[in-house]
Amino acid sequence: MTSDPAARSWSTRRADKASRIERAAALADGKVIPTERATAALEALLEPGDKVILEGDNQKQADFLSRSLAAVDPGRVHDLHLLLSTFSRPEQLDLFEDGIARRTDFAYAGAQSHRVAQLLADGKMEVGAIHTYVELYGRLFVDLIPKVALVAANAADRNGNLYTGPNTEDTPTLVEATAFRDGIVIAQVDKLVDDVTDLPRVDIPGDWIDYVIPADRPYQIEPLFTRDPRGITEVQILMAMMAIRGVYERHQVTTLNHGIGFDTAAIELLLPTYGESLGLRGKIAKNWVLNPHPTLIPAIESGWVESVVAFGGEVGMEKYCAARPDVFATGRDGSLRSNRLLGQNSGHYAADMFIGASLQIDRDANSSTVTHGRLSGFGGAPNMGADARGRRHASPAWLDLAYGVDGVERGRKLVVQTVETYAKGGVPKLVESLDAVDVGKSAGLPVAPVMIYGDDVTHVITEEGIAYLYKARDLEERREALAAIAGVSPIAGKHDAAREERLRRDGLIALPSDLKVAPGDASRSLLAAKSIEDLVTWSGGLYDPPAKFRSW
Amino acid sequence: MNAQTDTPTGTVTDTVRTPAVVLKDAFTELSARERAASLLDEGTFRELLGPFERLESPHLAPQGIVPQSDDGAVVARGTLGGERAVVVALDGKFQGGGIGEVNGAKLAAALELAADDWESGKPIRPVVLLETGGIRLQEANLGLLAIADIHAAIVRLRQYTPVVGVVAGMVGCFGGMGIAAGLCTDLVVTRQGRLGLNGPEVIEQEAGVEEFDSRDRALVWATIGGAARAATGLAERLVDDDVSAVADAVHGVFAAGGTEPPRSARVEDALALLARIDPARRLTARDLAELSGLPSPTDLTALTDEPNGAAK
Repeated sequence: MTSDPAARSWSTRRADKASRIERAAALADGKVIPTERATAALEALLEPGDKVILEGDNQKQADFLSRSLAAVDPGRVHDLHLLLSTFSRPEQLDLFEDGIARRTDFAYAGAQSHRVAQLLADGKMEVGAIHTYVELYGRLFVDLIPKVALVAANAADRNGNLYTGPNTEDTPTLVEATAFRDGIVIAQVDKLVDDVTDLPRVDIPGDWIDYVIPADRPYQIEPLFTRDPRGITEVQILMAMMAIRGVYERHQVTTLNHGIGFDTAAIELLLPTYGESLGLRGKIAKNWVLNPHPTLIPAIESGWVESVVAFGGEVGMEKYCAARPDVFATGRDGSLRSNRLLGQNSGHYAADMFIGASLQIDRDANSSTVTHGRLSGFGGAPNMGADARGRRHASPAWLDLAYGVDGVERGRKLVVQTVETYAKGGVPKLVESLDAVDVGKSAGLPVAPVMIYGDDVTHVITEEGIAYLYKARDLEERREALAAIAGVSPIAGKHDAAREERLRRDGLIALPSDLKVAPGDASRSLLAAKSIEDLVTWSGGLYDPPAKFRSW
Repeated sequence: MNAQTDTPTGTVTDTVRTPAVVLKDAFTELSARERAASLLDEGTFRELLGPFERLESPHLAPQGIVPQSDDGAVVARGTLGGERAVVVALDGKFQGGGIGEVNGAKLAAALELAADDWESGKPIRPVVLLETGGIRLQEANLGLLAIADIHAAIVRLRQYTPVVGVVAGMVGCFGGMGIAAGLCTDLVVTRQGRLGLNGPEVIEQEAGVEEFDSRDRALVWATIGGAARAATGLAERLVDDDVSAVADAVHGVFAAGGTEPPRSARVEDALALLARIDPARRLTARDLAELSGLPSPTDLTALTDEPNGAAK
């Protein structure tokens, strides 16, 4: 009987949705649920064991909905399977303490990484897997299909049309994964307007949205990509000079992504000064996959940057981006449009280079940001920091790293890791074994949480020099090259002048002098901006730094 | 001024194109030594007990801290507006500018020698660049004694000449050296500078985050930042974080002859202000400016009435 197609319902999900909507009918006025009924609505719409998307990445948070969810009766709503990009807020973890959620698939834990590790150890949280962003988004459409999505928007009309503005980020992807699988999409909104014409623009059509709830306060958003130039050290400037000469210039890198951090902020601020003095404007670093980093303002203003595609917005950069529509993607209303999935996809396939800082690198160049006691996860860096083996279009930089034989050759993405050999307090960053290996074991993960696998890393830059790992003929030579720029860290071994000479001759390493970089020139006076105030000046007053970055 | 004038002579920087915008030539970018030199008449900077004298703190190495060859204090002689001058600059980058036995003695002795000069009929202009968290905790009582000497020397010296203090940032000036700043005849501050007794972190630690959230930078600067201190009469001159602006202000004090009587000698005014303050009420810098009967602060963006004035 079960094999009779006629007897089987093919629309159980649709029927299930209809019955849930029916249960919540009394709580809503059309698509609008009043603020104070948010928790009651979640109790009516959710069932134990549901797969629930809770929007929260490293920038924006559906924090009104996460707080409302944390307030539900665990007797009615429990054992949820939480799907979220980033654990950032304490109540997201309270859900597990209280039994409202039991299982999770996520990408990054950031500020909550200690507590995630603790909940795992206490058996209060089951982790399906820790993903990269695009990997998690992909699974939302394949084998982690959500029942309910809780998302955040700046504004909505009564028909559910959403304005998500510069920080559109993950929202369209999360909504799409849910809306077209007969799931229920609930959006918290900072502002509710009557008519679509009252919205600056529509980022997500109301047709995909089931409910909107005015939030008690604007959604939380963190300026995660702002680095105060005052914090850039002269060692970082030296490494940035080496990067510009030994990587950007040498390989003629035009399409690129930068990680978050002072190392790459230093590069951004050296382009209009040091890069200009080398005559590189228009030749390198033209097309960017990058959030609107305030430290990119001087390069943009000096004519270095043709285009920027952003994963998300950045607090304080709204007016600046809106005033530079030739550079940034903007909507009909003039403000920035971002999209994390498309940004990650662009960074993976369309960028010739990823460069970012590492916290720990082992002798095989495996790179990690996981340290003992913290299970921080991955976010998006591995999507950028990996060779795109599905890539087929060629570019000079990609071809410069070509490999293969017999006429079937392929290029390779530049995956560049910057790392000082020692951290503050004399802790080595180049180590025999990554902390991630131990952390993975103690958390019972099937694989160690390695951020960037060594075989994807093509270059490592330390204050000693650059290792061109992609040129190594075998593992032995790779390790020698990395050891030769490892200073006195544990993997460096004994200094071997003959080995160093051979590696330099064969182009496996370059020391500052090989790159015509004089360490004595690495001065803060080379920075195009030395403070947040300077960035404001560069922007002509359009950049409005958040209070936490003001020193005045 | 353009941003490249402080560039040390080098091969690369000579060819660096001047940026398209005119940036301030930030005083806070300068090292202690460069700060002292920037105030003195060009070419007159001469350092006493410089780093090559190796007059280091003997107390740090036993505690696992690498000492610095000048112990974080630069004593410079030269001329200022053509007059003999001594400038002492504390190095905020070394142990937070904390006062220990050696750097404290350098500062105190420089001021005492200046007073001696005045008493033997040789005028000299004293300037102290205060970038310090106060006592260097590793040297405890020795630092305290040095600070007492510094206080006494400033009070003695200000009978003869304005003693000019500068709090430019980014460390600020706190603890016993906050008192030293208060004893100066005239205080020059930037918006970036901060001045107080206990620093924000200490207040939060002792009184709780409800009393003072040290991570709320808007609140911190609206309370103890240079603009707030100038608005409430605790600093005489508020200038941009710019080398020539700071120098002009310091020169201006000597040209004008200094504030008379000095702020810390106006005890009746301070007592009258205290009497007007209701300690049960939470005051903003703006409230305090009004209570002080000072002109209403204009163009003081730091004086937000909303302590948590963070963007969305």
